[in-house]
Amino acid sequence: MAESSLRCADGAGDGTAWAGLDSPELLGNLRAERRPLRLPLAGASVAAGFPSPADDYIEVGLDLNELLIRHPSSTFFLRVSGDSMQGAGIQHGDLLVVDRSLEARPGLIVVAVLDGAFTLKRLARHRGRLRLEAANSAYPPLELHQCGDVQIWGVAIHVIHPLARHG
Amino acid sequence: MADAIALIDANNFYASCEQALDPSLLGRPVVVLSNNDGCVVSRSSEARQLGIAMGKPYFQIAAQLARHGVVVRSSNYALYGDMSQRLMSCLEPHVAELEVYSIDEAFARLPRPRHSDLNRWASALRSRIRHNLGLPIAIGLAPSKVLAKLANHVAKADSHHAGVFDLGCCGDPSPWLERTPVEEVWGVGRQLSRWCRLRGIANARHLRDMASGELRAKAGVVGVRLQLELQGMSCLPLEEAPAAKRETCVSRSFSQPISEEAELRQAVASYVVRAAEKLRRQGQRAGRITVFARTSPFAPGFYSQAASTGLPLASNDTAVLLQAALRLVPGLYRPHKRFAKAGVLLQELQPEQQLQHHLLAPLTAEQQGRREALMQHIDGLNRRYGRGCVQWGACGLDPAWAMRRERLSRAATTRFSDLPTAWAR
Repeated sequence: MAESSLRCADGAGDGTAWAGLDSPELLGNLRAERRPLRLPLAGASVAAGFPSPADDYIEVGLDLNELLIRHPSSTFFLRVSGDSMQGAGIQHGDLLVVDRSLEARPGLIVVAVLDGAFTLKRLARHRGRLRLEAANSAYPPLELHQCGDVQIWGVAIHVIHPLARHG
Repeated sequence: MADAIALIDANNFYASCEQALDPSLLGRPVVVLSNNDGCVVSRSSEARQLGIAMGKPYFQIAAQLARHGVVVRSSNYALYGDMSQRLMSCLEPHVAELEVYSIDEAFARLPRPRHSDLNRWASALRSRIRHNLGLPIAIGLAPSKVLAKLANHVAKADSHHAGVFDLGCCGDPSPWLERTPVEEVWGVGRQLSRWCRLRGIANARHLRDMASGELRAKAGVVGVRLQLELQGMSCLPLEEAPAAKRETCVSRSFSQPISEEAELRQAVASYVVRAAEKLRRQGQRAGRITVFARTSPFAPGFYSQAASTGLPLASNDTAVLLQAALRLVPGLYRPHKRFAKAGVLLQELQPEQQLQHHLLAPLTAEQQGRREALMQHIDGLNRRYGRGCVQWGACGLDPAWAMRRERLSRAATTRFSDLPTAWAR
């Protein structure tokens, strides 16, 4: 996006000119001469005629990725199945955003590997010991020291829940 | 302060990716098969411990794998490609310079602190990658690329190194060079290693210490650089931005031989579709297209043919490339030949922006713009809903020759319909 807007803002369709822009000193010069190097695509489409009065105020559109994901390379999406986390606002079928780079701390909702499956629970400290709790009274907590091999796979940072079907 | 060069690579990358996204595979033996489910190309450490050999045809060892409860997977390139990008962007902030060398390995340059080794730094990076991506990596450190590659080998071969080995800090590196057969030195090809062996040069240390004039006479400046690198002088720079590709090739073996011309046309068409998509992603157009087809070199009556045509105007429009390629197919086809493989080579690539409008161009600038928008939409739909969701009629529907991938895992990181399940139960 940034690249294509760059190209249009300059108004040059010529590839050779663009290859030159990669060199830092040239870029520096250009910045000094012409400030709006990274214009959004919309502002650049006015090739002739009167410029739109809104052009000066256009910003790049909102990107939900930017809001929801701090560490793109270690963030994964999972699909929720089951109702044990209802009390935490996580419903069956919701989309879960999981960041593996975060350290699991008590209070956070985590994806744990339990019996070869991803399991969604809240990590909690209870009487000095760590345990995995559901957010639904129908599911008993799992004491970590009692289960054999539990690995915390990642920390859930967002849940995306549809309210209406689109389309 | 001298810089250190690191070679960082993932262990058993394909199998590790499978394990990273499928918790039922953690701790279990996993093997990944090559195209058409042919041979074992990657083994998890559990499978390696069972003595499963690399490169073995699947049909030969299927019974052995089943007996040991080994999980068998087809190559899932969508998953490996995505995990590769994640790996490289996780590494990038921790080094001064990164050269992505292949899907699962990269060279890096970083400053070496005075009087200390980089083992602590490397171990920390290794556990971070394991934590953030679930991938095991090995890191070799040295003053040059050739030695970094060698150090990486040591890091992986000796389990007590725990995947990290710094050759630049342990005094005289000679013992390590001595343990490395000359064939395993990075940059030594089959011809050079045979020449070395004939002269009694058996390992990396011998190669480092041999008379440089003799090596120069045989291998020229390449050989001299290789020797200097072995001596700890860095002469192969890191290449950060790979040069723009001059050619793009898509070729595949068929899951079963093809003898009908119509089938060969379909196969060529689907490779053109794939190659055109690659071209658009690279921001390039092709000026020439070559199509080739061959029978199995192991069967009697081997036949191989190629045909090529220039395009009047460089293009990355699938329809234009299809038209050009399909015209070449009758020239390749021979009745009664059992074709085993075909491919498409796009050549004379040039940047997209360079296109000059031809006086005799078949399309006006406006028509051209609309064609490009159409291609973008098709690529977008295929990216979003899975490859082949929008297909070209010329490729045929569900053809019998298509690549066999019967044990394919899901595109767990690149497709919403394939996401792993988080059980709330």
